[in-house]
Amino acid sequence: MSSESERTATSDGVQIHQSRRLPDFLQSVNLKYVKLGYHYLVSYLLTLCLVPLMAVILIQASQLNPDDLHLLWLHLQYNLVSVVIFFVVLVFGSTVYIMTRPRSVYLVDYSCYRPPSHLQVKFHQFMEHSKLTGDFDDSSLEFQRRILQRSGLGEETYVPEAMHYLPPRPSMSAAREEAEQVMFGALDNLFANTNVKAKDIGILVVNCSLFNPTPSLSAMILNKYKLRGNIRSFNLGGMGCSAGVIAIDLAKDLLQVHRNTYAVVVSTENITQNWYFGNKKSMLIPNCLFRVGGSAVLLSNKSSDRRRAKYKLVHVVRTHRGADDKAFRCVYQEQDDAGKTGVSLSKDLMAIAGGALKANITTLGPLVLPISEQLLFFSTLVTKKLLNAKVKPYIPDFKLAFDHFCIHAGGRAVIDELEKNLQLLPTHVEASRMTLHRFGNTSSSSIWYELAYTEAKGRMRKRNRVWQIAFGSGFKCNSAVWEALRNVKPSPNSPWEDCIDKYPVQIVA
Amino acid sequence: MAENEIMYVCKRTVVSTKPVQPGKHHPLSVLDRHMEKNHLRVVCYYKGPRGQEEAGEITKRLRESLSEVLTHFPIMTGRLIQNDKGHWMIKCNDAGVRMVEARAKGNVEDWLGSVDRGREMMLVHWEDMYYKPYFWSTFYVQVTEFEEGGLAIGLSCIHLLADPTCATMFIKAWADTTLPRKMLAPPFFDPLPPRRPGNRIPNHKPYTALIDHYNFSLHNSNPSTDAKHTTITLAFSDHMVQACMDMTLSSSATPNKPSPSPFEALAGLFWVCISKVKSLRNGLLNMSICLDARKVLGLHKAFFGNCMIYNKVHLDGLEEHKLSQAARAIGEVVAKMDSEGIMDLIEWLEQNESLTPPLMNSCDLICSNLEVVDIHSSEFIEKLRPIQVSYYVEPVFGIGQVLIFPALPGEGPLGRVAMVTLPEDEVIKLCEDELLMQFSPTILMGVNRTHA
Repeated sequence: MSSESERTATSDGVQIHQSRRLPDFLQSVNLKYVKLGYHYLVSYLLTLCLVPLMAVILIQASQLNPDDLHLLWLHLQYNLVSVVIFFVVLVFGSTVYIMTRPRSVYLVDYSCYRPPSHLQVKFHQFMEHSKLTGDFDDSSLEFQRRILQRSGLGEETYVPEAMHYLPPRPSMSAAREEAEQVMFGALDNLFANTNVKAKDIGILVVNCSLFNPTPSLSAMILNKYKLRGNIRSFNLGGMGCSAGVIAIDLAKDLLQVHRNTYAVVVSTENITQNWYFGNKKSMLIPNCLFRVGGSAVLLSNKSSDRRRAKYKLVHVVRTHRGADDKAFRCVYQEQDDAGKTGVSLSKDLMAIAGGALKANITTLGPLVLPISEQLLFFSTLVTKKLLNAKVKPYIPDFKLAFDHFCIHAGGRAVIDELEKNLQLLPTHVEASRMTLHRFGNTSSSSIWYELAYTEAKGRMRKRNRVWQIAFGSGFKCNSAVWEALRNVKPSPNSPWEDCIDKYPVQIVA
Repeated sequence: MAENEIMYVCKRTVVSTKPVQPGKHHPLSVLDRHMEKNHLRVVCYYKGPRGQEEAGEITKRLRESLSEVLTHFPIMTGRLIQNDKGHWMIKCNDAGVRMVEARAKGNVEDWLGSVDRGREMMLVHWEDMYYKPYFWSTFYVQVTEFEEGGLAIGLSCIHLLADPTCATMFIKAWADTTLPRKMLAPPFFDPLPPRRPGNRIPNHKPYTALIDHYNFSLHNSNPSTDAKHTTITLAFSDHMVQACMDMTLSSSATPNKPSPSPFEALAGLFWVCISKVKSLRNGLLNMSICLDARKVLGLHKAFFGNCMIYNKVHLDGLEEHKLSQAARAIGEVVAKMDSEGIMDLIEWLEQNESLTPPLMNSCDLICSNLEVVDIHSSEFIEKLRPIQVSYYVEPVFGIGQVLIFPALPGEGPLGRVAMVTLPEDEVIKLCEDELLMQFSPTILMGVNRTHA
């Protein structure tokens, strides 16, 4: 074996966290293949065990003669009652099982909004307008400039109309206009691509964290598209950037109760009235990162849609760390000393995010990880607890469980942190980085832009599993797992249509 | 009151639709840098289209086409920075131009019936350079929609980047993009060509008049700001300009001299009349003429940048304000402004550049020939040409300024419009001058009508 052999600390080997020193053998290349072999062995263990069993049965069956069969038949006749009871129980049990199984939720299609190009904001314009408003002092301007430079955002992200005026003109009507533009833009596209009729939509869930007018945004959609009177509509407000997954979860639960219907989930955010015009540094960061964007998703529980649907929802795991005070105050909307409202981000955001992620994958792991990884994790845990050995806790390899990752594009730091913690390769986080570059942080809809990127690149194949992770205020970490039902091609009018060939780009600084 | 008539809707920044290549810088020529202290304003009026469009519709369309046309003019959307020599240059970072949207009451014809300099300035937005030039937009566009029909488009820019010819070129390109038509002449942003070494004529006597004139104005630009200036617009019809040209020929000593150009005739006319108005008994006052030198230098007519050269016109020992001699003197100076002379000037300027440019319009009466501008073919709306156009080169201190450009096409090829900027009392006297009245100019824009 190669346990003591070459220390090929290359990228071919298993990704190792730099700050922990591990035994040499984990760095050798050959171990990777051993691990892979072990993984396949355990995954197909059941199948492998079946083979000898089948062999035994075949041998037995071949040795039967008509007399034995006759004997078997007599046995059955004498024990008719027990046989009947057995079959009744079997049929009854299967019916109950089939009836109470959760209905599959299919993602028929989704659409992400691409704003018109005149709403794009370049770095210089951001700085120029910020300077000309006169609200920011020099150190705040310099701070915003530095954040913008290192943010990972490109020069084609979008900012609402109200911010393009000099001076900016945030108002409720402008915020409503932004919401309408984004939501209706995404929904028009979705309805055009899926040909779903308004009267077939039974469930509508809208989430927008920072803008909650009366009547609600879901009422606005109902009004615009003339949806039916007995629709189950919900509007989720204040739930942060992870509200997209929360909305999917809610729709999924509703689809269990209401049979044979469609659910539309709209995720968006509103920038117009939420620009911070003060000088507190912790509240300036959202100005530099948050941008206009939104998505609309069509879910279905009709079995006939399985043929045309893109994905099937496999799991949704929600973790809330709000019980911890520090996590609760991590992302906090408040007024600064001058009375200006903004969202302040605390300095331990990354640490709290890491903790929330750990909690989430602890629950998600057993659901999605292959048996091989679970055994390894379990055995390492047992070794640590019982034998008290100084063994590093085993970080399960999520790359074996998932083919694609959609990490909420909260900022460059978040993506870097997750890439490190989950030991992902650059190709896995490419969708997140490129979405951050092209669209900025569009809050709850960014995971959908990332999925659209993966599709546009032609990487989504049948039976591929996708993991969408979203972090949000609270502090929450929510995951959704989807499985592709076919080789997915991007839908018409995808937000990446005109620029996918330019990506991936190298992000400097 | 005038203030109530125009309502400013909003101001925003408009960028080009295609991003510009990052890191590009455009240097400014020495002629550009010479014009730093001045700025330019252009106003074009259009009648409204039949079939009322919703208020703001035209403005929206214009905004979108402005974005598109700015793709071809990266210089306009850039920002000023200083290079290591301390000279201005443009960083082409696509920061955008400012666009102001406004609404005016009434319709455009009524407005034109009672417009004066003050009110016309309200149709063109301008902001002087901030203390931080990196965030200062060099171009400003204002679109004013008249509630009862009509449109006024105002463009202002620092003279450092553009002269009236290229400002007009931009408006034409913008109109073509709005229609939409293919832009006929995409602009050229190359630097001024250096003198071709092969063309150095040995023993060539440099034409020093140009250099002398610039030298003089560099050292003598002390603007007198006491007089309040106003501007009037006079339109001369085709046969009136012909009559003026004939008059300059009539008492000429040498009958074989070629006929003066309309500019020379009209410039001579104004020279004589304004001298009279300023009560100059003998001789004519100091005047410089300003010509577009693109053709002379062999540059493409779509060259973007400053290419207008000033030169002094003298006429000593003149008794009786004789129009023909004035026109002849102007004609001689125009002929002498050839490419060699201009090249000499450019070389001299490059060697003797000071970091504080002069105010070019400050010591003499300036008479600019804007005949190359082709503003009247710019149609923003199908088949609707401008009904009136105004040009301003600001600020005007000192004696005064006359800008001469072509009239509406309906007036004939020789029709000209002259915008005269003088102290207020002199303007009134000018309008009553006999010689001028002989050519019965139509007063398109008169003295301040609103006696506030």
